[in-house]
Amino acid sequence: MRRAKNLSIGDAPYAFKKRTSASLIWGTAAALLPALGWGIYCFGFTAAIVVAASVGGALVGEACAGALMRRFTLWDGSAFLTGLLVGMAMPPGISPLIPAAASLFAVSVVKGAFGGLGSNWMNPALAGIAFSLVNWPAQMRAWATPHHLAGLAGISGATPLGFARSHAAAAIAGSSNMDILVAGGMRASGIDASVTEALNRGIFSPLGADLPGGYIDLLLGNKAGALGELSAILILAASVILLSRRVIRWEVPASIIGSFALLTWAFGGLSLGNGFFAGDVLFSVLSGSFLLVTFFMAPDPVTSPSSRAGMLIFGAGTGSLVFLLRTFGASAEGSAFAVIMMNCAVPAIARLDTAATRRRAAKASAGTARGGNANGAR
Amino acid sequence: MRPSRTFRHGGIRVEGDFDWEQRGPAQNAFLPNGAVILLKQHSGKQARCVVRRGEYVREGMVIGRADGPFSANVHSSVPGVVRDIRISPLPEGGRAEAVVVALEGAFDRLGRRGERYLWKSMGRNEILSTLRDRGVVDTEAPGLPLFDLLSERQETGILIINAVECEPYLRAEAHLLADKSPELMEGISIIRKILSPKRTVIATTRSEDSSLPPPSDDGPDVELVRLEARYPQDMPRQLLEAVDGSRKFSPDDAVILRPSTVFAAYEAIVLARPMVERYVSVSGGALKRPAVLKVRIGTPIGDLIEECGGFLGPPARLVLGGVLRGHSVHDLDAPITKTTSAVIALDSEEVGSLLRSPCIRCGRCAEVCPERLDPDILFRLVKRGLRLRALELGLGYCTVCGACGYVCPSRVPLVASFAAESHSLGEAPR
Repeated sequence: MRRAKNLSIGDAPYAFKKRTSASLIWGTAAALLPALGWGIYCFGFTAAIVVAASVGGALVGEACAGALMRRFTLWDGSAFLTGLLVGMAMPPGISPLIPAAASLFAVSVVKGAFGGLGSNWMNPALAGIAFSLVNWPAQMRAWATPHHLAGLAGISGATPLGFARSHAAAAIAGSSNMDILVAGGMRASGIDASVTEALNRGIFSPLGADLPGGYIDLLLGNKAGALGELSAILILAASVILLSRRVIRWEVPASIIGSFALLTWAFGGLSLGNGFFAGDVLFSVLSGSFLLVTFFMAPDPVTSPSSRAGMLIFGAGTGSLVFLLRTFGASAEGSAFAVIMMNCAVPAIARLDTAATRRRAAKASAGTARGGNANGAR
Repeated sequence: MRPSRTFRHGGIRVEGDFDWEQRGPAQNAFLPNGAVILLKQHSGKQARCVVRRGEYVREGMVIGRADGPFSANVHSSVPGVVRDIRISPLPEGGRAEAVVVALEGAFDRLGRRGERYLWKSMGRNEILSTLRDRGVVDTEAPGLPLFDLLSERQETGILIINAVECEPYLRAEAHLLADKSPELMEGISIIRKILSPKRTVIATTRSEDSSLPPPSDDGPDVELVRLEARYPQDMPRQLLEAVDGSRKFSPDDAVILRPSTVFAAYEAIVLARPMVERYVSVSGGALKRPAVLKVRIGTPIGDLIEECGGFLGPPARLVLGGVLRGHSVHDLDAPITKTTSAVIALDSEEVGSLLRSPCIRCGRCAEVCPERLDPDILFRLVKRGLRLRALELGLGYCTVCGACGYVCPSRVPLVASFAAESHSLGEAPR
């Protein structure tokens, strides 16, 4: 009998799409690096140490959980990604021990204790962020202004989002978020001034609109904030790449942004006394951790529904909760907690999906009771 | 020709475009020195062996007699002496008797111009019993004998000739369509005489096929429909959905046949030839010169691989049938049967990483499932032994097409668990 040596045998299929779970996760992590790079440029070496401590804590947590379960899982990238995301949500000058502890907790308790990758019900990175927000609230709100903006007068010690919110009550009726920031002493950078002017001259004025100063700074990341969340444009660019390569699916982010933007537009103006349908959608979307959470944490496949309908429901819930928490919550930022709350709802959403599948199957069996598949009906 | 159409839900595009350099008609493969002819190449019971060791058999002589419904006659594909009758493993699992014929003596048919039988005067039943005598079976697994497939049908809605090949390594049907289109047209006429369908369609995925000769005046009126090369476009439900968009015909009103089946019927009726030969595509990254060959049934796959220049490097996997629905073998003596459409030698790069990792619930399996099932949930239920709940969620509709397994980034053995279940359900006496 002739036999070829070293042949693998087993069941079909024998061909696979090249991408693996590990390559999806490492790819997501790689896409985040430009945004992280901007943070390190803005805040210097200390920011790099914060992220390194966070990643280190995550890897140690994964190694310990892996050792207990007797399997080596560092290669799958999920601990690295968790550590990276936790680090990027930190204020730049924070003690490295805080992100390290947060990542360690996220990976070993929130993920590892439930059985590792794929078995956790809460997004580990968000859990880590929530862990540090609850335990070290003061340190987690110690913001700094980027080095290269040091010459500009700024709203020191606050992010634009936080400042606008805390001063909204005192503001004159009819003012916008940007008005509050300017009144508080914020000055737009030179880039912002020139780009805004060019845009107004070229695009907006002919359309009868006017872009106030400050938004370009929000978009580029010329502001105070967590070290990885500054630059909306770099996060958006990474998201576009991941969406087009279908690493993350569009349903969750689209649904979050859609519902959040709608609610902000409709009711966001109320707190400033501007009435209905006068909310500042652009300001709300570009500030805080909204974009990073929306594109990199909420769509985590493990902790979000897997059907299209489920993802849209999940996203709508998250977007609405972000709006509610930002408006009525204890802090200016609500994205992380909104996603965690919706993580809790995922099993219920999955149940709806299963019910739909069951109905479809029942309908199909009623339909084919007459016969069967072509050729095979015997 | 209308723009290409396809089915509605799910489906995948199989990556990798295999480079077929072959031009011109398929060549005859070398005759095997020892043909290993399985007595079970059809869905029913193994045929009864009617030869003894040492006996001389002629080309095309019956060596196994059909045993009951869904069983089919088996003929010797070469002249020679019965060297051995042994139990041999089947690629799809299980075992069956095989007759090993050592090539010897003269050919009765090879190289001779046979007479053409004027079948138009034959009645329906005469055609059917001739197909049965000559051992013609559906070339699609599990190999339903054509007699059993066609005899119970009188007025059929639609006859679909399924030349769709939506995997990179499959090429035999398209080649046959290009090489033998007049013969196929005549074969279609024969099938139409049995079924008298209201509509006849040739479904293909290749634009070249539009060069098929227009049906002649006295020939059947056959439509050519071009479909998208999306997997699993070649499966019955997806094929009918794409061809018959208006849903005029129900699945039990449709008969779907491969061109190779039609060609076997043509040879059986017009050339009075039993089913002893078929087109096989021999390919894969580990092979030197991929080709589509005309192969005698019973030829060991090792012979075909040698004929195609042998291996480039060590093969990592040998597959019969197709990379998504086929079976892997490790025995180079495994023979070609009436239902073997392809021999594929994959190199280690094509096999890729088989390392399993935890499911990340990405939902890609459900997204591509053409039957709109949720393979993730079904897998979890089957693994926990909750078969009834899985059936409630549609496990019985799984066609084991393999699309979910193909896209799974964690390489979860989804398909294997469903295949095992569908066998244990014992849906059909195949």
